[in-house]
Amino acid sequence: MAIDWLAIAPEVALTVTALLVLAADLALRGDAKQLVNPLAMIGTVVAIVFAVVLWAEAPRVAFEGQYVVDSFAVAFKLLFLGTLLAILAISARYFAEGRYFQGEYYFLLLTAFIGMLLMPSARDLLVLFIALETVSVPAFVMVGMRKRDLYSSEAALKFFLIGVLSAALMLFGMSMVYGFTGTTRLEGIAQALAGDAGSVPLLLGSVMLVIVGFGFKISAVPFHFWAPDTYAGSPLPVAAMLAVASKAAGFAGLLTIAFVAFEPVADVWAPVLGVLAILTMTLGNLVALQQRDLIRLLAYSSIAQAGYMLIPFGLARPGAEVVNQAAVRAVLFYLIAYAVMNVGAFAVAIGVNRRTGERSIRDYAGLGTRSPLLALAMTVFLLSLGGAPLTVGLWAKFAIIEAVAVEVTVFGLVMASFLVVNSVIAFFYYLRVIREIWFEPAAAEAPRLQPALSLSVVVVVLMVGTILLGVLPGLVADPTVVTTFATGG
Amino acid sequence: MTAHDLVFVIVGLVTAVSAILVVTSRHLMHAALYLALTLTGIGGVFLVLGAGFIALVQVVVYVGAVAVLFLFGLMLTRAPIGREALDSQNRGLGLAVAGALFVLLAALIIPAFGGESTAEVTGPTIEAIGIAIFADWVLPFEVLSMLLLAALIGAILLARREAGESGTEAEVTRIEMGEALADEPDRHEAVGTSAPAGELGAGGGR
Repeated sequence: MAIDWLAIAPEVALTVTALLVLAADLALRGDAKQLVNPLAMIGTVVAIVFAVVLWAEAPRVAFEGQYVVDSFAVAFKLLFLGTLLAILAISARYFAEGRYFQGEYYFLLLTAFIGMLLMPSARDLLVLFIALETVSVPAFVMVGMRKRDLYSSEAALKFFLIGVLSAALMLFGMSMVYGFTGTTRLEGIAQALAGDAGSVPLLLGSVMLVIVGFGFKISAVPFHFWAPDTYAGSPLPVAAMLAVASKAAGFAGLLTIAFVAFEPVADVWAPVLGVLAILTMTLGNLVALQQRDLIRLLAYSSIAQAGYMLIPFGLARPGAEVVNQAAVRAVLFYLIAYAVMNVGAFAVAIGVNRRTGERSIRDYAGLGTRSPLLALAMTVFLLSLGGAPLTVGLWAKFAIIEAVAVEVTVFGLVMASFLVVNSVIAFFYYLRVIREIWFEPAAAEAPRLQPALSLSVVVVVLMVGTILLGVLPGLVADPTVVTTFATGG
Repeated sequence: MTAHDLVFVIVGLVTAVSAILVVTSRHLMHAALYLALTLTGIGGVFLVLGAGFIALVQVVVYVGAVAVLFLFGLMLTRAPIGREALDSQNRGLGLAVAGALFVLLAALIIPAFGGESTAEVTGPTIEAIGIAIFADWVLPFEVLSMLLLAALIGAILLARREAGESGTEAEVTRIEMGEALADEPDRHEAVGTSAPAGELGAGGGR
């Protein structure tokens, strides 16, 4: 059997980089250990080059249909690799100054991203599950890295227990689906479900179990309990990774499994996910209103954002090609926008946290005088998360409304109205932080902030990106980026 | 009833009884040993189904590794090994949850698979399994090796006593929860002195 190396080239590049990082960490001593960060960055850039090459080569089917590289997958791969680059840049100072286990951290980070790169390409339950676990397991450890901090241990334990529980539920569901359909290939499952197998109660229950397993990864209500505590306790770059990349990976897996394998039974899961969307965004926003810690606020805001991104799933219907494609496109665009603005917000939080340990919202008082760059950037990111005009956040929400409008249904309108109401609620807490930044005086002895160069570059790039995409959303929302799934033969 | 059925019933009974004994046993060590017996019994079920290789893997992995790990864990930590502290006073609740789960699964599984006739089963040969793993499923297999490496590194990282240049400077996080903190000390001062409070570990590199 010939292996299609080009199809897995980005993953191979990251794997080689991860192993090199591990070896370099062993060989280097003292301050030289910091070289592992640029090493990881070089590997990521190589992977990005391979992904861009694959963009022209798509669609490719490898490993007898287990693995498909179509434009959907490549778009996700580029999103993940871009996020990885940003997270590496904002990690550099944090981990060098914190003197944590640098080499191990970068190795685990790269391994988690290998799983993410696999996720949108996987067309087989087994590959999908292993990809999901490859994202989760390194994350469990990374969250618990600040071993002297009880919060970090608590965060890791909660994340681990809920993660293992959801993995067990999902695996049970997957084994049932396999028992009924006799195949783990997603297309094969779709064919079996479209036949007479699609009406057995146990089968539909198993389908729900598999979907629930992803609910944990995207921190949808009621599987969201871990998110605020875990984000707050973990090292901040890891929190950024969990909030953006890990969540995007969950959505990538959920999109493929929902719209490829379980598409024939969409009338069963779509209403459930739609109701979850409404619950998730409402609960996330209402609890976010009461937060005093910025990271916890961002955590609840990310729960709410997951709710927005679940709306298109609620629109899905079996056989309705146009609606389903619009739904997939809306989620993908929202994820790209969300990654840009949320990594940015976490980057500013890391910049402020550096050396001062500041992280509550009141610590942001007078940020406008202490570091105009970080203050301006945070304002842009928060406005964008709220969905203000001239930022990408508005277009992201618009993309979801657009998906609802493809074929207007009562349920779709209900979800869209919840989206609008929740966006208004969300502005309260985003604007509260902005008011704190610009209109409150800084504490007398508060030092001026000196963000690291790499962090400043990331913040500026993402800020420009937020505004540029806000003015010209067509740059990534180009409708020619087809989001149909290539079949795996 | 053929001899095959008879063996299946015996193996199934042994498995079920030892599974019940795992939770009713008052002795932690006995419970662990009954768990090993249950897992062996599941290996026996695979054997009856004609899946010899999977039965072997089940015994090697679950009995040889997992159950023995349990025993080592019990002996190496200061867990109460004797007859004490095993009753969490939740028998009623546990029984209700387990019973409900049993009824639910039985109600779902029996109508779904009950009508299937039992065919003469012949499991795939070990050769076929080997080809499946290393040719058809080579991608997930290789990814799993990275996953296991990450788990290994992670376990070392979490278990290692921090010494030397790594991990000595971690500052304790100060998280403001909800509205609870009314009389909060000045943060900018507090943060500077909070580092010693982060010395949670007994050992450490200082």
